[in-house]
Amino acid sequence: MTRYIIRRILQAIPLLFIISVLLFVLMINTGDPLATMGGRKATRPEDRARLARQLGLDQPIYKQYIYWLIGNDWALIDMDGDGILETPGSRLGVLRGDFGNSLISRGKAVIEIIWDRLPNTLILMIPAEIIVIIVSLIVGIYSALRQYSLIDHTVTALSFIGYSMPIFFVALVSMYIFGVNFKRWGLPYLPTVGMFDPKMGKTTVQIIWHMILPIFSMTVITAAGYSRFVRSQMLEVISEDYIRTARSKGLPQRLVISRHALKNAALPLVTIVGLDVPLLLAGAVVTETIFAWPGMGRLFIDHLSRSDTPVVMGILMMISVAVVFSQLITDIIYAWLDPRIRYT
Amino acid sequence: MAALAEADVIRLQEELKAKPLTPGQLIKLRFLRHKMAVLGAIMLLVLILYAFGGALVYSEAEANFTDTKIRLNPPSAEHPFGTDTVGRDILARTIYGGQISLLIGLSAVVVEVIVGVLIGAIAGYYGGWIDGLLMRFTEAMFNIPQLFLLLVMAKFFGGKIPTITFLNREFSGSVIVIIVIIGITSWMYLARIVRANFLSLKEREFVLAAHTTGTSNLSIIFNHILPNSIAPIIVSGTLSVANAIISEAYISFLGLGVQPPTATWGNMLEGAYNYIETAPWLWISPGILIVLTVLSINFVGDGLRDALDPHAIVEAK
Amino acid sequence: MKQKRFYRIVTVLTVLALTLSAFASLAGAQEAAKVATFAWTQEPDSLNPFYTDMWFATLMHQVYLCWAWQFDDQAVAYPHLVTELPSVENGGVSEDGLTITLNLRDDITWSDGEPITSADFQFTYDMVMTDANTVNSQYPYDYLDSVETPNDLTVVMNFAEPFAPWLANFWRGILPKHILEPIFESEGSLIEAEWNEAPTVGCGPYVFDEWESGSYIRFVKNQNYWLGEANIDEIFFQFVPDDAAQTAALIAGDADLGTFPPLSDVPVMQNAGINVLSVNGGYSEIWFFNFRDMASPGAKDINVRKAVTMALDRNAIVDDLMLGLTQTGETMWDPLTAYGYVSPDITPWEYDPDGARQLLEDSGWIDRDGDGIREDADGNPLTLYHGTTIREIRQDIQAVAQQQLLQVGIDLQIMSEDSDIFFGSYSDGASCATGSVDVMEWSDAPFFPDPDTDYWLCDQVPNDENPWGYNYFGCDETLDALFRSQLVETDPTARTEIFHDITQYMHDQVYLIPLYIDPDIWLINPRLTNVTISGVTPFYSIMSWDITE
Repeated sequence: MTRYIIRRILQAIPLLFIISVLLFVLMINTGDPLATMGGRKATRPEDRARLARQLGLDQPIYKQYIYWLIGNDWALIDMDGDGILETPGSRLGVLRGDFGNSLISRGKAVIEIIWDRLPNTLILMIPAEIIVIIVSLIVGIYSALRQYSLIDHTVTALSFIGYSMPIFFVALVSMYIFGVNFKRWGLPYLPTVGMFDPKMGKTTVQIIWHMILPIFSMTVITAAGYSRFVRSQMLEVISEDYIRTARSKGLPQRLVISRHALKNAALPLVTIVGLDVPLLLAGAVVTETIFAWPGMGRLFIDHLSRSDTPVVMGILMMISVAVVFSQLITDIIYAWLDPRIRYT
Repeated sequence: MAALAEADVIRLQEELKAKPLTPGQLIKLRFLRHKMAVLGAIMLLVLILYAFGGALVYSEAEANFTDTKIRLNPPSAEHPFGTDTVGRDILARTIYGGQISLLIGLSAVVVEVIVGVLIGAIAGYYGGWIDGLLMRFTEAMFNIPQLFLLLVMAKFFGGKIPTITFLNREFSGSVIVIIVIIGITSWMYLARIVRANFLSLKEREFVLAAHTTGTSNLSIIFNHILPNSIAPIIVSGTLSVANAIISEAYISFLGLGVQPPTATWGNMLEGAYNYIETAPWLWISPGILIVLTVLSINFVGDGLRDALDPHAIVEAK
Repeated sequence: MKQKRFYRIVTVLTVLALTLSAFASLAGAQEAAKVATFAWTQEPDSLNPFYTDMWFATLMHQVYLCWAWQFDDQAVAYPHLVTELPSVENGGVSEDGLTITLNLRDDITWSDGEPITSADFQFTYDMVMTDANTVNSQYPYDYLDSVETPNDLTVVMNFAEPFAPWLANFWRGILPKHILEPIFESEGSLIEAEWNEAPTVGCGPYVFDEWESGSYIRFVKNQNYWLGEANIDEIFFQFVPDDAAQTAALIAGDADLGTFPPLSDVPVMQNAGINVLSVNGGYSEIWFFNFRDMASPGAKDINVRKAVTMALDRNAIVDDLMLGLTQTGETMWDPLTAYGYVSPDITPWEYDPDGARQLLEDSGWIDRDGDGIREDADGNPLTLYHGTTIREIRQDIQAVAQQQLLQVGIDLQIMSEDSDIFFGSYSDGASCATGSVDVMEWSDAPFFPDPDTDYWLCDQVPNDENPWGYNYFGCDETLDALFRSQLVETDPTARTEIFHDITQYMHDQVYLIPLYIDPDIWLINPRLTNVTISGVTPFYSIMSWDITE
């Protein structure tokens, strides 16, 4: 097992390297962060030239990448514009845990910027994922047990619709119904955007209240796919011999389902959920944008639109590392839950 | 649905004993038994008719005709779907927007299939270090969530392609950009399927036979192995059309998609939440059209999977 | 066993989620305090005035920072840290315009009680000019030769050449030397100073309290403010990263003040009883013509530029798209503020499509092939490439303009890009810099309230040597000379004369078409009283604002 883990980690290194080069080249060419630094006015050419030099944006791309990767504390940079390299760099590079500073919030470390938003995303995404899993297990199992019933057909049709809907449509419709129209009709209505009501302060109740619509939207979209998966797994499991044995021994249906079938049907779900976990870190970009949730997804969009390479790279690399590790952890959990699987 | 289809297959096999059918007839029969797929196909046909037939009723000039005096008017007899922020008729715009959205869906998949099949085929056929390298690359692309990659690429290519004229119509360069980036960020799944198929097929007798007769590698790949792995490519391609349409909508919704003057269902939704209260008709009709299109393509894809590959155990993602 | 494990995982995840939400919850706000909530659609990049020029950040300056002089709601300067505004009459400005002397008040202090002295001014100048600090802009400090401080209350600014726009641009925020100097000395730069994000020592009527990224910034009353105590206890900047949220918060009364709303929401808010205040910040939404060599023949032809102006129904744009909340303009300079820089002899261009057609016919642009688009004698179609940044109102204007120009036979090709791509450098091949567009649209202002701008200077034309130059328009020697002469003209009357020439000349040459004056729209809940807002230092009077229920 240990050898397996080590091998997987070693394999991840070239993978992450390729990803970082790919993304870096893309990001450096996606617009000029200096272009919008003048605020509402065009950035003054003198300032642009100076900032490009001081932030190292005038360097060839391979150099920028190397500085990003291994830092520039071993190199000299020209801060005063006299053409002479005199000031030693201060960056340590990603390999030494320094993701650099944001270009637009100049002094702020990328790690710090991400760290500020990460909890908000997790607050929204972890409960969302848990609810999605619970809902899809219930729906999936129920429709498997009532195969070909009216409920099964309805659920199947609905899950197809849910699976086919872009999340913004669900979000807009639910905002329109529960936020706008309920208010119009004098019913208790749900808040449409934000994380809390500024008047009430950032209290737990407020946050939960504001989480309802985003979680509802994500559940509609995600649970649709998951529940179909659970259903087909369940159908496979209940036709297997050991379930029939358990039934023939006279065990009550509920016990058969909860003790034997559920466990085995839920196992493969671990893999799928494992693959989705890194996306939690990123936050659903679209969900956070629509509901104005101050999480990582919004952070990504905001900084991408201003070509803030260090922050965007930081977020993307964090996700990539998370993907690699969650795949590994999924495999390990899988082996732990299912003793038949052995990794060597 | 998979279970339904399985039952159908059993029934079919019984019928088979009675009278043998050609593979084509078999596929058609299996597809027609899939009620949702038939419904999806009909719905899709109606939508295509709407987008392309509608062009006979409304000219593109009408779709782009602005009248600031009637901006943000709710649906009326004259403008059944209402008007937008500069007084354009939303019905006419959904027709021309639909053409672009469907065009993007189809063309992006063409790009996807070309890239996916090429990479998958080369990796699977040649194996060795080529396979290793290509699969590492595939994995790297897989590792970044598609939407993130799409957004970065949309920004990367944004504005680099000028407006082009094609079939007497002007297309914003961003249409090409969106097609290409959706294509090159979604081929990985297909490449894996093709590679797996090639790995198993290249050891089969007919391939070995082709080798001995001195057939070139290229010919073996494209004339011998590829036709035998066409079924999963068709299924995956169909489902990808749905994904491509949704992807376009997502990028456009976030403001990085197709830019005016060209309308798409996706960019008609851009900034929709600003009008959620004041002008819901701005987003309701394009939104419903996207949902219907994606839904019907998914139905058709599901039906095709059952029809083309009765033993497929691959579930819808 | 396995089942237990499964539940264990679920339990761990639930506990984790609950812990995280507990972290996020704060103690309930105190009810008795007067709290004003401002809805902000963008979050500042930094609170250090020299690290960002972001509009939503500079708007906040008068809350926690202090400028040497501030501006009232007529955009007229009044002394704040100084005893009086320097002028030639009071000896503050030398006759040759090369020396400006500031006399500081003797009662001004930082919020921690330390006096504000000339050393803080000197320190601010030094920090801006220190390369290691990587400030956002060194303008206008790089026009200075040196700053001297003969005593604690005197600041002497020495210039190599007279610098006419000094009043509008110097000392927009002072840095506290006693806080930042030790950091600069130990780290060699201010870039990572905590003060940039948490300026706990300031000099405004309020002082920084807390910043929760993505959510809010809170300012509390500065007990040591030398002008007395503000009426409102707390100013709470709530980030509502979206227009719809801002509108909702204002209508629901959750926010007391907001700005930069989607115009389509303004009537809704007016109906809900929210006051709408339109304040001029010197900005206009402008079509800039590119008349450089690479521009389309049409853009270089003054008759075409005139025809475009006449064919555009700018009143329809103002009345319908801008809901009549503003008015059309004739120059880049604001005719509304009391400075009188715009030549009084300018005759506004009227909407006159027939006149436009006639003008085009007369100047040889005739539709020779009957496709509805005019051509010149060589058969080149009258096509103009129009580019702008991605923003709904601009893209809407493009669509409307395209149709209006087509009616007189001009083919307008429209394109829009993200602003960081649109304004990219010459070496990036960006549209504006390389001149691939003939007409560029965005909102801009001179160094308001000063009329100075260096946009049309010949040495600002972007090229290989000067990839960041921002004269995307072209080099006109006459204009270049006029702009250069106003910059060093110390006599205000003479300078106004030069601007009359400039505005008249640019209007006659049609180098730009101002679509409309782009005021800052402020939305104010009636419970917030006594509100006056300046176009330069918006919250200049915030200490006398109040909340009345």
